[in-house]
Amino acid sequence: MNSAASIAVKLTGVVKRFGEALACDGISLEVPDERFYALLGPSGCGKTTTLRMIAGFEQPTEGRIELFGEDVTGLKPYHRPVNTVFQSYALFPHLSVFENVAFGLRRKKMAETEINARVTKMLDLVQLAGMERRKPALLSGGQAQRVALARALINEPEVLLLDEPLGALDLKLRREMQTELKRIQQEVGIAFIHVTHDQEEAMTMADTIAVMNKGKIERLGTPITIYDDPRTSFVAGFLGASNLMDGKVEAGTVVLTDGTRLAIPAERLSGFGGAVKVGVRPEKVRLFAATESVPFPNRLEGEVTDASFIGVSTQYLVRTRAMGEMAVMVQNLEAHRFQPGDQVVLGWPSEYTFVVRDTGLVDDDDQPD
Amino acid sequence: MTTISLTSRRSKRRKRWAPYWLLLPGIGWLSIFYLIPMVQLASVSLQEGDVFAWKFSNYTDALRQFAPQFGRSFLYAGLATLTALVIAYPLAYGIAFRGGKYKNLLLVMVLMPFLVPFLLRTLAWKIVLADEGVVVGFFKTLGLLPSNGRLLATSFAVVAGITYNFIAFMTLPIYVSLEKIHRSLHEAAADLYATPAATFRKITWPLSLPGVVAGTLLTLIPAAGDYINAELLGTPKTSMIGNVIDSRFLVVRDYPTAAALSFTLMVVILLLIIPYVRKVGTEELVG
Repeated sequence: MNSAASIAVKLTGVVKRFGEALACDGISLEVPDERFYALLGPSGCGKTTTLRMIAGFEQPTEGRIELFGEDVTGLKPYHRPVNTVFQSYALFPHLSVFENVAFGLRRKKMAETEINARVTKMLDLVQLAGMERRKPALLSGGQAQRVALARALINEPEVLLLDEPLGALDLKLRREMQTELKRIQQEVGIAFIHVTHDQEEAMTMADTIAVMNKGKIERLGTPITIYDDPRTSFVAGFLGASNLMDGKVEAGTVVLTDGTRLAIPAERLSGFGGAVKVGVRPEKVRLFAATESVPFPNRLEGEVTDASFIGVSTQYLVRTRAMGEMAVMVQNLEAHRFQPGDQVVLGWPSEYTFVVRDTGLVDDDDQPD
Repeated sequence: MTTISLTSRRSKRRKRWAPYWLLLPGIGWLSIFYLIPMVQLASVSLQEGDVFAWKFSNYTDALRQFAPQFGRSFLYAGLATLTALVIAYPLAYGIAFRGGKYKNLLLVMVLMPFLVPFLLRTLAWKIVLADEGVVVGFFKTLGLLPSNGRLLATSFAVVAGITYNFIAFMTLPIYVSLEKIHRSLHEAAADLYATPAATFRKITWPLSLPGVVAGTLLTLIPAAGDYINAELLGTPKTSMIGNVIDSRFLVVRDYPTAAALSFTLMVVILLLIIPYVRKVGTEELVG
């Protein structure tokens, strides 16, 4: 239908106000066709509002929304070639699984035999064959989720919108559905736009993640790129843990407050100057005894203050002379080498250093669970 | 060992009987104040004068004599129920989906007339529909009513009175079932290409049916037996079966006929609503 390079959804300067409250503050993004795209952020960051504007449930206060180059900004939801999987599934309680899934086709006045064939095929795809006559009240969470997915996908939308679709499932089922969703997305080959506050979920499934904060997109890129180079303190904190320290950019390196120089790839510094926060992820840091030679350019001396064994890894807290307390995660490949009180050296290669703009941290109650 | 199993068996038995013990006060109340009077009424309906005589002709005679009043009862009650539905549904819909923070206030306003006794409410309509009243004048200027026409003492007045008196019984159940419909169902329907009209037809209306059924029953049943509205707003030509029963019991003191009419009314209502409830009120709704 469309070439791989074409843009499925394009938002240009989209602003949404609810009275005084500013939900979306100038969102511009392009979602390429056939991609799994995640809008990630804490509650109240505007991600759901953005999705609802693409679906047509909300009208943007300003800006423009296009689907495959066509302006759909003022269009009603029932005139848009997109479908939504709702957070609470929103299955029609009085209709059977079959009728729920057939709902969109019936509205388009499709022939009965065609509807039968398509519903059967779709229920196969989501592994619900044999459930046709059940009422939604008798479905488990995972089954309801699949019906919601089938009900949307059967209409062959140009883009599928998913509003926290896995939020109501328990952890194990959520993991299964993540894989499942990714498989289905590859099978149907359309763009999925997936709203979530769960960073792990976003990283597992999405090709591209847009991290949102306070109505704006703070960082956009592949999971690996934005994890390794978050560029803002908010993104660094939202996607996993990181050690952040004060520093400043000076002659292609960063200098910490005590004068320690840290090596960093040059492109990570583009756009930065003066005072910055310098970061490194706990699992990228290696621990060495004070007597060992450290084969990395970045070195900080310190003293182990805490070591907690958590199965796959051991988490150390190290008080460094330069920076105060830093977290270090060490895989349990070898014996637990260090105890509180040991003098150690922290070392990491230059490509794991990143710098961020200070955009605040994630509020406690927004912490992804 | 044995003692434990014995006590546990005893407590199990006690548990099994507990619901029945709890039913006892209700059953007692209903037997004394409902079942016994019903049997009493049934026996009176078969009396010859003051003596029980299996006189089934009481029924046939009463039906023959008061067929027009029966007909009017169901016609007026039916019309009033329909009118109430037409008025109450949009009202309940508006409160449920557009009421916002005024929801409770609006519901109180629906219930407000109930703070006034039934009789006074109906008397008030006498003033509203009076020959020199505003409503009559308004209809006359619109040319909907001839210059010598009146509203009071017509079937219109009776139906209007019944509609007004029972409309809250229609509004509240419908409101309750509409209120339960989650907003996201409307969005899901719109998302699946349903226009607002199709959304109403396929989602809102079917999901509100339990309320519609409850509302129509709560309106139709008392309306069919009502006699105050016909008494105060109508004429002898608009009298309903309730008026006849009222006068047979209290004025003429023809107890067998009054009892036979009461029973007939009850049976006819039952026969009317059973198929209705079975058709719309079962699995389709609960599921």
